[in-house]
Amino acid sequence: MEKENKKISNGVNNTKDFIVEQIKEQISGFKAEAEEKTFGQVTEVGDGIARVSGLSDAMMSEMLEFKTASGPAYGVVLNLEEDSVGAIILGDASSIKEGDEVIALKRILEVPVGDELVGRVVNPLGKALDGKGDLKTKKSYPIEKIAPGVIARESVNQPVQTGIKAVDAMIPIGRGQRELIIGDRQIGKTAIAIDAIINQKGQHMKCIYVAIGQKESKVASIVARLEKFGAMKYTTVVMAGASDPAPLLYIAPYAGCAMAEYFLDKGEDVLIIYDDLSKHAVSYREVSLLLRRPPGREAFPGDVFYLHSRLLERACKLNKDYGGGSITALPLIETQAGDVSAYIPTNVISITDGQIYLESDLFYKGNRPAINAGLSVSRVGNKAQIKAMKKVAGRMRLEAAQYRELEAFAQFGSDLDKETKEKLERGRRMIEVLKQDQYVPMPVGQQVVIFFALISGFLDNVPVEKVKDFEAGLLEYVQDVNSDLVKEIEKTGELTESEEKKLEKTIKDYKDTLDYLESDKVKSS
Amino acid sequence: MKITAKQYAKALFESVSAAPSDKVGEVVKNFCRALKANNQTSQLGKIIGQFEQIWDKKNNIVKAEIISALKLNSETEKIIEQYLKKTVGAKEIELSRKVDKNILGGVIIKYGDRILDESLRTRLAEFSQTLKG
Repeated sequence: MEKENKKISNGVNNTKDFIVEQIKEQISGFKAEAEEKTFGQVTEVGDGIARVSGLSDAMMSEMLEFKTASGPAYGVVLNLEEDSVGAIILGDASSIKEGDEVIALKRILEVPVGDELVGRVVNPLGKALDGKGDLKTKKSYPIEKIAPGVIARESVNQPVQTGIKAVDAMIPIGRGQRELIIGDRQIGKTAIAIDAIINQKGQHMKCIYVAIGQKESKVASIVARLEKFGAMKYTTVVMAGASDPAPLLYIAPYAGCAMAEYFLDKGEDVLIIYDDLSKHAVSYREVSLLLRRPPGREAFPGDVFYLHSRLLERACKLNKDYGGGSITALPLIETQAGDVSAYIPTNVISITDGQIYLESDLFYKGNRPAINAGLSVSRVGNKAQIKAMKKVAGRMRLEAAQYRELEAFAQFGSDLDKETKEKLERGRRMIEVLKQDQYVPMPVGQQVVIFFALISGFLDNVPVEKVKDFEAGLLEYVQDVNSDLVKEIEKTGELTESEEKKLEKTIKDYKDTLDYLESDKVKSS
Repeated sequence: MKITAKQYAKALFESVSAAPSDKVGEVVKNFCRALKANNQTSQLGKIIGQFEQIWDKKNNIVKAEIISALKLNSETEKIIEQYLKKTVGAKEIELSRKVDKNILGGVIIKYGDRILDESLRTRLAEFSQTLKG
């Protein structure tokens, strides 16, 4: 009682006392234990790597502290040799000199993780780059972690809605899947990834965008875009820019994955984008060659497959007993002149659960996103697709691929039978529907409506050049007249027969208001 | 193939220990001649360093360095020496001393490639870290 009275009467003094008490407690709780540590000396330094003699007990990927004249610098052990270790230096290597003392810290490199990271731009070591002040995280995770095993996993069963019609219809992605986005430079790989992030609003998904070796101007514009669409509220950007040393680029995706694993452990779903892994492989090649590891094909070291497989294996869908979280990974690979048979592309294709293949021919023809339906696959995602979408888009990938073939074939002959002609007409409209501008992801309910109109043949007498207008108009009309329908489809994920009938009627009503439809007579002549 | 300083040192150590004690001078002379013939005299400094390491290892000698803020009295040194002999299991400890005011207090003991940091400065730095976290 006395204490309480005192608190009320003398609040200021009491808080002071409280702080003093707390510090006292901390002092008494502080255990001074001198740990025996191994130390060594820098024998060689340069290009972001250092060779250190001594350090007899050093572990693989152990953290090292370089004691330099201008404060400590940190590194990671990457090579263990007979009487020296090779280490990569994280951050500024210019202050490290030959003969400097190095202490092994007996722990693996860790990065700060936590909810504080959401909405921020950080470097691979978790330092803020966006000028919004230091991060006050409480936890840190090791950057290298063994991926969850079979016991902890379950098969993919929930969709990731990317909001891109072509992807959601033909190459569906499930939560916990690894889907590669592959294509030449400048044909919209990043655009797909960014659209996918933007569409995650309200889908209970945390996003992490890892920029590896990207121009800082590009990353800045991406962050500005995400901010504009309100996507930074659930997104973390991990940036290792083009001017950062190779070791930072090398650890960037692992650091991003560690940040994702924090949310995974909380049972949340995470979408992580590695943009891009070709540059990551190149930075690893640089580090490896400097460490004098023997080069193999295309001068990459022997373990370049393991480099990516261990990273992508950490993408997973955990079952209920393990929290039920997931990490969906979208790695990007840049090809040179469409060559998918180069070393790194084939490696990553074989690791992932499918790929979205972007083609420059399609891009320049104006089919954007320039997804090649024939070469793109999703090996597990169709299990996660919602039923309504499955119903309307089930055969679309095949039909799109067939149309491409027919189109090439039809260029030679003029006499085509009616069936082929119809297929061509339908295909032309389908391609038109699949075209989509950047930064306008479409909710899945609306996608179902437009695909339903397409496969039910309602678009057959709409002129090809008017398909875009028709689509926009129809969606607006459905929104005005029958907005519950779209909501219902999104909620239940199903398209029942009664809903189908309603939809049919709505589309017919809408078509009655149009004046640009081709009459059947014109079409057949 | 290039012969490394370590290999030279090993060869020298082995031939020296094999030779009878009155022939050691000759062995060393021959070694120097061989070095000159191979144009490797520039490596001499490194070879001596490596040789010392091998010699210490074979004879169970451990080099230790004590860094302290103030000069230590011989009694304290003896205690440290005893402690080191026990922990490392060495026959002999070759002590070198260094006085460094920057560590504020306590001692830092280095032996082999181990370091035992009992300095006041490190302790304070650790403590400030716990207060922050």
